[in-house]
Amino acid sequence: MAVQAVHEAALREFERGLRTMAGAADLQVVGPRGGFDENIYAQLAGRPEVAEASPVLELQVKWAGSESEETLQVLGIDIFALARVTPVLLPKPASTADRLASLAEDNVFLSRAAQTALGRQPGDEIELQAGTQRRRFRIAGDIPGAADNRRLAVMDIAAAQAHFGKLGRLSRIDLKLADDVAPAAARPALQAMLPAGVLIEVPEASAEQAGNLSRAYRVNLTLLAAIALLTGGFLVFSAQALSVVRRRTEFAFLRALGLARRTLFTWLLAEGAIVGLAGGIVGVILGQALAWGALTMLGGDLGAGYFSGLQPTLQFQPLASAVYVALGLLAGVAGAWLPAREAATVSPAQALKAGGETTLLGGRGHPMLGLGLLAASLAACAIPPIDGLPLGGYLAVACLLAGSVLLLPLVAAGIARLLPERGPVPARLAAARLVAAPGHAVVAAAGVLTSVALAAAMAIMVASFRDSVDQWLHQLLPADIYLRAGQTQSSAYLDEALQVQISTVNGVDRSNFTRHANLRLAAGKAPVALIARTILADGSNLPLVGPVRLGEQPAIWISEAMLDLYGWRVGQTVALPLAGQLVELHVAGIWRDYARQTGAIMIDLADYRRLTGDRLANDAGIYLAADANTEQVAAALTAMAGPGVLEISRPGEIRALTLKIFDRTFAVTYLLEAVAIAIGLAGVAASFAALAAARRREFGMLRHLGLSRRQIGWMLAQEGALAAGVGVATGLLAGGAIGLVLIEVVNRQSFHWSMDLHVPWASLALFALGLVALAALAAVLAGRQAMRQDAVLAVREDW
Amino acid sequence: MLEIEGLSRQFNRRSVLRDVSLRLQAGEYVAIVGESGVGKSTLLNLIAGLDRPDCGRLALDGVAYAQLDEDALTRLRRDKLGFVFQAFHVLPHLTVRQNVALPLWLQGLHGAAADRPAQQLLEAVGLGERAASWPRELSGGEMQRVAIARALVHQPSLVLADEPTGNLDPANGAKVLALLAERVRQVGAIGILVTHSPAAAATADRVLHLTSSGLQA
Amino acid sequence: MQRRDFLVALAGLGAFGLDAAAAVEFAPVLPGYRLAFPADHGAHPDFRTEWWYATGWLNLPEGSPLGFQITFFRVRTGIGEENASAFAPRQLILAHAALADPALGHLRHDERSARLGFGRAGFATDQTKVWVNDWRFEQQGDNYRAEVRSAEFAYALDLVTSGPPMLNGRAGFSTKAADLRHTSYYYSRPQLKVDGMVMLAGKTRPVSGQAWLDHEWSSEALAPGAQGWDWIGINLADGSALMAFRLRGAADTALWSAATFRQADGSTRSFPPEAVAFEALRQWRSPRTGIAYPVEWRVRLEQRLFRLQVLMDDQELDSRRSTGAIYWEGAVRLLEDDREVGRGYLEMTGYGEKMRLG
Repeated sequence: MAVQAVHEAALREFERGLRTMAGAADLQVVGPRGGFDENIYAQLAGRPEVAEASPVLELQVKWAGSESEETLQVLGIDIFALARVTPVLLPKPASTADRLASLAEDNVFLSRAAQTALGRQPGDEIELQAGTQRRRFRIAGDIPGAADNRRLAVMDIAAAQAHFGKLGRLSRIDLKLADDVAPAAARPALQAMLPAGVLIEVPEASAEQAGNLSRAYRVNLTLLAAIALLTGGFLVFSAQALSVVRRRTEFAFLRALGLARRTLFTWLLAEGAIVGLAGGIVGVILGQALAWGALTMLGGDLGAGYFSGLQPTLQFQPLASAVYVALGLLAGVAGAWLPAREAATVSPAQALKAGGETTLLGGRGHPMLGLGLLAASLAACAIPPIDGLPLGGYLAVACLLAGSVLLLPLVAAGIARLLPERGPVPARLAAARLVAAPGHAVVAAAGVLTSVALAAAMAIMVASFRDSVDQWLHQLLPADIYLRAGQTQSSAYLDEALQVQISTVNGVDRSNFTRHANLRLAAGKAPVALIARTILADGSNLPLVGPVRLGEQPAIWISEAMLDLYGWRVGQTVALPLAGQLVELHVAGIWRDYARQTGAIMIDLADYRRLTGDRLANDAGIYLAADANTEQVAAALTAMAGPGVLEISRPGEIRALTLKIFDRTFAVTYLLEAVAIAIGLAGVAASFAALAAARRREFGMLRHLGLSRRQIGWMLAQEGALAAGVGVATGLLAGGAIGLVLIEVVNRQSFHWSMDLHVPWASLALFALGLVALAALAAVLAGRQAMRQDAVLAVREDW
Repeated sequence: MLEIEGLSRQFNRRSVLRDVSLRLQAGEYVAIVGESGVGKSTLLNLIAGLDRPDCGRLALDGVAYAQLDEDALTRLRRDKLGFVFQAFHVLPHLTVRQNVALPLWLQGLHGAAADRPAQQLLEAVGLGERAASWPRELSGGEMQRVAIARALVHQPSLVLADEPTGNLDPANGAKVLALLAERVRQVGAIGILVTHSPAAAATADRVLHLTSSGLQA
Repeated sequence: MQRRDFLVALAGLGAFGLDAAAAVEFAPVLPGYRLAFPADHGAHPDFRTEWWYATGWLNLPEGSPLGFQITFFRVRTGIGEENASAFAPRQLILAHAALADPALGHLRHDERSARLGFGRAGFATDQTKVWVNDWRFEQQGDNYRAEVRSAEFAYALDLVTSGPPMLNGRAGFSTKAADLRHTSYYYSRPQLKVDGMVMLAGKTRPVSGQAWLDHEWSSEALAPGAQGWDWIGINLADGSALMAFRLRGAADTALWSAATFRQADGSTRSFPPEAVAFEALRQWRSPRTGIAYPVEWRVRLEQRLFRLQVLMDDQELDSRRSTGAIYWEGAVRLLEDDREVGRGYLEMTGYGEKMRLG
């Protein structure tokens, strides 16, 4: 619920932003980040099917005083065309401004929200970073149609082109088609006019791309939430099962008195429903509170960094909340179903007989069905992603969970058989109980299994991920210092003069420059990052996975996402739209990329410059001379441009920051795991509490026979530990398998990256032991009342 | 030898037992009868060491245990006492033999050392072939015979049976009572049968009546 | 003449004498310059503003009248003179078109605007040729062609000249105020014979009629204190033509007036301010904006007294949504001694709120 609420809030904000961007455009022409030739605009605008074409130059721009990750989205626009295509973006000069304000070269218009966010007003000045320069602009007014967009700024397109070094370039053209032309009809003809790498899209596509980006992450979280819900369902099941056991004589008596089977069944289901409903309502309230907390602390992407710059506001969502309450209700009914059926079908005579409680709890499970489900999970892993979602992976996870729950009795019996025949009486009794009546342990263990499987799977996945990311960062950041012209790759760059200057700074041994661009390869797909940097001929300075095959054409190195999204293979020759031309390039190898889920291509910088003529760079990796002082070199480098323009970072800092972001990203998963564990433990406690009451006479008899109170406590503790142990052991196995599914299927399909398996053995072991101990404690605490002195006398209670 | 002298017990200032005395030799098998509420259960609890008297003395085989601490009482029950209950109280998750061997386990005997005596006793109560069965497979009479075997397997000095036939039909009840009497005498233990059935009481060597004024023959 | 300056200002763009423009040297309007054709039919991009302004009466086949108006403004913004961007907004073209149809009772109008470049808008300097998107106004030989397409209406009209341009003011040097700085180059082409097609309410029909073209360019702003103006351009039935305007001060006082009258034989006379007078006779209040406009006038030209009768009262142009201006521009009949003697256009501005000018 919390996950859902946070994401709805963030997504709503994001979509609103995108809608504002797209306005009323029928079609959009989009290209790589570097933009495309502006003459395309002239060609398109002259087409009969185009009523109006609105050229846009889109830039992510830092402003003086911004935090390193904050940028403004500056749109260079032609107000004349804009007025007819996307009027929501029309700038409105402040009443004090000149009437030509929207054309003036030094004017910029900020949305109301951006003015508030930046603390500026019309008439104020703002310094924007262009390349490594800062340029001063006057805030000339606002954008009434997009008042809520916190990052939006517009200025005249000519000014934007000139100030930000984008002469001759456009990043987008919004098209309004003639009245009688359908977008679908116009698209092919218009697309045919465009050079390689420039695509025509329906404006919603970009909203979808953005949605997709976070959707996979969101679905992952939703899955976790679902597992928590499932565990909750088990809790209801065990509570209900045991309460039925405890009251079976009561029910038998009522049945004997003439209570109809159906009525009893309905009554018990209703009980489950009420428990589930209450749980659902409490859950929704807690969920909203959690969501609020998470939004405040982590941001709308729950720390994952997809919605940078947005400030989503949480809204109460009646529908989603209702769904969650309904799910809770459903879990309650489902959990009560089996016990209710058992209670209703058993004959009153049988139920009145002493010792009959074993009927429900002595089940052997459905091992064949369980095995079948496990086999099915294997098959499910082979299902390709559906609509970009790893549904097969989720199915596999569900099968694994369900299968292992069904196999639980078998595992319990197996574990019981392994227990020694000798040993202290409490242990023998606990073991005997597990052997003979695994049902009880299974009831308690199912919740534990689910939560442990979840936690272990996540732990394995996160550990593998973190380890792999760390490795990856080591490989990608070999230099001593990194220098970049701000975060924004569209408006900040290092020009050639600066590049030369960097290389000649005292203490710099050599420097490797990187150019970030992007490419549009297919309509409806997000752009692919193109990274030009110095790459060794064999690619050995890249985090490669799999073999390398060199060819005759210049080499490119593709990220795993390219494999999944575009089906490219090593050794293949592909045509890339570089500088408007299709260029044949050879896929030499695959590298691992954790930064860009939509695909990335690396190319050697020299090749890139030769093919595109683009000689700018975004950042520089700087290797220091042996005797150089890092601080001094860093100071000398930053002094080359105005204060705050060039950012220096060290690989250590970048790694630390990345891992910090990583940990923050997964903080919410830990939270969910903790919730699941708590639910699992509550299940153990609840089941023992329920049974302890039913077992008062058993305890009493044992006290007669000479078991001390402490021994009974031990017996309970060991029963709890055994039940939890069964759950934990099965859960760890299932969790390992689920972890593998998460790594190999779910992550691969959602994020298109692989990782090296890294099992955190020590922490898993510690976690398992801790959980068993906690379960033992929970069992003892739950059974405490049964160990009281008066319970001893219960042996001779009359019926 | 069980010695009871001047045993009294009050609950909420209401005297339930007053000045009860009794002395039983090994091999003696007595029935205690009385109406509901005269303190049969209280007396039985005191004898079993599950409760402590307000005053009076209890001694088994010369060991006074009226004022022992709980651990000592637990050990006493484990070593010297055997119980047969109205509701059998056979553990459902132990086999018949394991149920019988349970008192031996408690004395630290395992494996054959526990199984052999248990098997012998099961044969003695006529259930030798059911040793590996689960309690749920037994009838009520059979269950109570298991309970009798369990009460005697560790050769206790004192066997306490509380309405052992309360849950059985008359025919089965008679068989169980006969068996109980026979086995108690066999091991040479003191047997105390608490019942309000005159027929059951008749299986004992002598019958004592518990009234508000004490135990009378 | 400032009325068009003003319109440019209304178009949301024409603020002058401000920082952005200050750095740019606009060509001055100098007395004594002799207009030379065909060169002066073309655009004069060194000047700040310029317009080609055609108005006229059309007849539908069944005889019912329509008024039409098409204006192309060229604006040199003074912005981006040094900018290498092909989008640099140095020159803008703004076009406005309206159709007055008594059957509808109010105007149909639309506008187009663009900066020069990418073939989206442009002008020629050697002849009249100005276009924005698919709207154009162009000289063909000595005649003109106007094309306008809008969702609600469209027209394509051929305007055939009859005689040389009529030079207003002193041989085309038109004064707008007592202060000689406020001047423009201004000539008219009256008595244009119109033939063409009009698309209205989804139907295209042939039309014919009479029209008037103004071409004017200047670098100067409106005189201070001017509230608005009233202008007429009338083709008289006898072949003569009358252009008259006055600039109004705050309390409807005439700050300046002028007129040009050409006889059918081509002889032309310009009138000084004291020879021209406008007197409002009847008001009409717009139900949309609440602004009252005089819709019946008495116009005096020396001894001659004329009366102006509008084709329909509601010829108000409310373009606040796009350009921010509200004014009245419509077809009128000219009466003399209660007899119709000519037809043309009346333009009235500054009757709403105090106009905001640079």
